[in-house]
Amino acid sequence: MGVMAREQSGVRPNDRPIVTGLLITYGLFWIGLAIAPVDRQDWFLENLLAVALVAVLVLTYRRFAFSLPAYSLILAFLLLHAVGAHYTYSEVPFGFWLKDTLALSRNPFDRLVHFAYGLLLVYPLREVLMRLAGVRGRWVSYLAISGILAQSGFFEVIEAIVAMIVSPELGSLYLGTQGDEWDAQKDMAAAFFGALLTITGTMFLRRDERLST
Amino acid sequence: MGWNKLISIGLLLWYLAVSVWMAQAPVDPQFWLLASILPALFVVLLIVTHRYLPLSHTSHALITAFLTLHTIGVHYTYAEVPVGVWMDQVLHLGRNHFDRIVHFSFGFLLAYPMEELFRLSASIQGWVVYYLPVMTVLGLSGLWEIIESWVARAVHPELGVTYLGSQGDIWDAQKDMAAALYGSLLCMTLLLVVRALRGAESALESEAALSE
Repeated sequence: MGVMAREQSGVRPNDRPIVTGLLITYGLFWIGLAIAPVDRQDWFLENLLAVALVAVLVLTYRRFAFSLPAYSLILAFLLLHAVGAHYTYSEVPFGFWLKDTLALSRNPFDRLVHFAYGLLLVYPLREVLMRLAGVRGRWVSYLAISGILAQSGFFEVIEAIVAMIVSPELGSLYLGTQGDEWDAQKDMAAAFFGALLTITGTMFLRRDERLST
Repeated sequence: MGWNKLISIGLLLWYLAVSVWMAQAPVDPQFWLLASILPALFVVLLIVTHRYLPLSHTSHALITAFLTLHTIGVHYTYAEVPVGVWMDQVLHLGRNHFDRIVHFSFGFLLAYPMEELFRLSASIQGWVVYYLPVMTVLGLSGLWEIIESWVARAVHPELGVTYLGSQGDIWDAQKDMAAALYGSLLCMTLLLVVRALRGAESALESEAALSE
């Protein structure tokens, strides 16, 4: 019962200042990274969804508050994305450093963020499924991973449609792929493994809790 | 033996008959073997869990229909299915579209069994019942494309994306996933409409019963 009550309530009243702090942190970083991005148009496109997501989170806070760990994970992902958007992803300095250090053929920062998408956002998704949809037991783990994979697939479909409209002659060379024909599959696989990792960890952590109730 | 069991066994026999028939001299035996492993495991899983997971006849029939399409496709390595070749000639499509149709059917035919599975075994209610099958179809389609790319790179690395399914289209993976998505959306929309009509009908009936 104790577990249930805590999971139903989401953020405890004491945590509210911390959630506000997370929001302010994002705001500050966002403003800093909005100054002189590498490509303003690309920056604008990349930020549409991110800003919409934050707006939805703020507006629905009263009706549906995530737990503090979930908000922290969402913040971590949004910060990574904000950095990527500032540098159009393919020119992130950290990515170049990784490329040189690991002797890769391309800047891997976008792959890293796809991985982070699964790794960081599957936990909040799990919360939505449990509390909003009332999914229980082992289905939660499966559906959360499936949801991440579905959204990744959906994103690749949207990306393909945009690429076909904006520059059909460039084909898959346009945007994210950087010339890799398997780029879409690798991106989805990265998100999938990220989600798998977090869910496995969550299952181990929650096992004791389940056994004690 | 009741009707229920007879129908289930009938569907299973139909699938076995189609499988045996299509196992005769497939166009590419290696591909046939690779692509037949998953459906075979799936059918065994359905039989084993049959007692705990009482899916309706509608679901079983839809699953059988999908597996039949897949079995036919595998026999001809999808790229050479006669119906697809005929469609290509009549509609001038430029490629054999049978695999795209089966991707669509994956969403259209299997979304309802998934809805039933979630409703019965995960006791999910409300709007999520319609959302989760769509999400699952898209997720599994993505997983399928990932596995397909692994197999392609393992079996024929020099052919790249031109290997199998894609038939030379760089956007093939995305189009396949989109096809499955549209299929599942259509299925869930139909289900919503049918349930709304049925709800209206039963509401009218109960109203009539009240006024009597």
